Amino acid sequence: MKNSTKNLVAYITSGYPDKNFSIDLALALGENGVDTLELGVPFSDPVADGPAIENANHKALELGFKFKDLLEISKVVAPKVDTLWMGYFNSFYQQNMQELIPHAKSLGVNGLIIPDVPYEESLAYKELFDAHEMTNISFVAPTDSEERIATIVKDAQKFIYMVAYTGITGSGTAEDLQPFLASIKKYTQTPVYVGFGVNEKTAKEKVKGADGVIVGSAFINILLDEQLSKSQKITNCAKLAKNIKELINE
Amino acid sequence: MYIPTASKFDPDERGHFGIFGGRYVPETLMPALLKLREEYDAIRFNKDFWAEVDYYLKDYVGRPSPLYYAANISKELGAKVYLKREDLNHTGAHKVNNVIAQGLMAKRLGYKKVIAETGAGQHGVATATIAALLDLECEIFMGAKDVERQELNVFRMKLLGAKVNSVESGSRTLKDAMNDAIRHWVTNARDTFYIIGTVAGPHPYPMMVRDFQAIIGWEARAQILEKENRLPDHIIACIGGGSNAIGMFQHFLEDEGVECIGIEAGGLGIDDKNGCSLQKGRPGVLHGQMSYLLQDEDGQILEAHSISAGLDYPGIGPEHAFHHDNKSVTYDYITDQEALDAFVWLSQKEGIIPAFESSHAVAYLKKLPNIKDKLIIVNLSGRGDKDMIQAKDLLHFD
Repeated sequence: MKNSTKNLVAYITSGYPDKNFSIDLALALGENGVDTLELGVPFSDPVADGPAIENANHKALELGFKFKDLLEISKVVAPKVDTLWMGYFNSFYQQNMQELIPHAKSLGVNGLIIPDVPYEESLAYKELFDAHEMTNISFVAPTDSEERIATIVKDAQKFIYMVAYTGITGSGTAEDLQPFLASIKKYTQTPVYVGFGVNEKTAKEKVKGADGVIVGSAFINILLDEQLSKSQKITNCAKLAKNIKELINE
Repeated sequence: MYIPTASKFDPDERGHFGIFGGRYVPETLMPALLKLREEYDAIRFNKDFWAEVDYYLKDYVGRPSPLYYAANISKELGAKVYLKREDLNHTGAHKVNNVIAQGLMAKRLGYKKVIAETGAGQHGVATATIAALLDLECEIFMGAKDVERQELNVFRMKLLGAKVNSVESGSRTLKDAMNDAIRHWVTNARDTFYIIGTVAGPHPYPMMVRDFQAIIGWEARAQILEKENRLPDHIIACIGGGSNAIGMFQHFLEDEGVECIGIEAGGLGIDDKNGCSLQKGRPGVLHGQMSYLLQDEDGQILEAHSISAGLDYPGIGPEHAFHHDNKSVTYDYITDQEALDAFVWLSQKEGIIPAFESSHAVAYLKKLPNIKDKLIIVNLSGRGDKDMIQAKDLLHFD
């Protein structure tokens, strides 16, 4: 593969509808173009997410998801696909961060994505992440000033999560990303991945000038489709992944 | 004229009260919060701003609220009990103190749209009121369950010109209303000011709302000194998020002889469904802050329960969490039944119908040990008009 290959990050809600399905889905995605997997941790109050992901979160909890399920899924998936945990801070905080981070590492997980921990609050955990060679993914938002972007990206590792518009996941608002991308690229060599509102229709446009895309709601909409059987859901998600991976590298 | 003063309990630069508070929000909101902090620093001790607030608080709200000597219940208890009459404020509760100041801030910052979350509807009505007054576009987020049980307040908000969004997700109550208000805010951060109703949410809200409500304690302190020539032994206030309580306590916290007592919603009992975040919860992160939360072992937020919609919230303001651990405030609880009894008691003894929320503080007069000869202030945070339909169903007078 060329160095210029653009990457695909896929979000799935862990434990929806069950643990084994999540494992099968994750492995299928890994074989169909997904470079990095975001294993979502269902939370009762996912404020950064739109209706699709919120719905999947609540359904997973109703079906009995427990944090230990995430550990079991990760144990199988993380050795095979580059894996990050995506969850709201309370889910991680309640596990005791000092114990959780080394545990995650031992399972093969490479980092965390925590949408409700901005730069300032992340500083308290920087040493802990560094000590275990774990990444805490940095977010930049379209509301950020250039000065703030410079501060945030200075220590960013792995990739920068560029929020494509002011809003919640899975909505369709379009903003011109080029000036925003340029102001990020000015201060960092770390790859920039675009997330929020990325699907089959928008991926090609959104990836312009960026190094990858993050896709969540588009997969979750397939998982929530009650007309589909479990195996159809996996087939359709794999197809979607493959398609987006091709689109962003056209 | 009331102007806040710096306190030894002010949070640090990033809004932490000890381990509590902070700013746990999506990055999109951080610039708005940083700007708000700057703007608040600029007006916190600014005479012009507070003169404007003062004008509305006096002539529009009707402040200062009286400190009323409740002779009949005092006689029954063998103590001296004063009621701080926040129930007499325009819109019926202490909530208006905060929205006047936040509304004026929004205006000053050039925002034309405001949003707010509401449980029982009191903060929603107060926000819709100030939006009408200051010509701001107003959207209120309210859980669908609360929309059903607080039909009259929904109508009030609409009458005042606000749009009311009924929130269908989760438990369909205050917690979910706040989730959707935050989502709306994340989407419209550039042109929308979020008027938070209590001393919760991300920094600087807990500090700001506390300063806006601390006029209650500032007045009460001067009033009790004038009437009794001494400070009270106990001050009692109810706590949902905790804004009336912190507002009342603020000017007494550094006085050795004064015990501030915050009352959580005991609901059906301490081992049943309740709203006792401090007694039954543990530290965690929700709605932008670290505080005590009712949650399961995985950190999933649990539903609270209280007879009073205003106390029906699984969290508490971060400064209260700090005072709890720091032991600078005493915390206890009152059950639904005790609150309902106090609701009737105060109505029939003093001719004052308290809100269900405030009834929790009133009820504690009967639970407080060694009350004889003590000088006590109860913060009567709101009036009971809004609770009439619910009370009628619970109490069967024939």
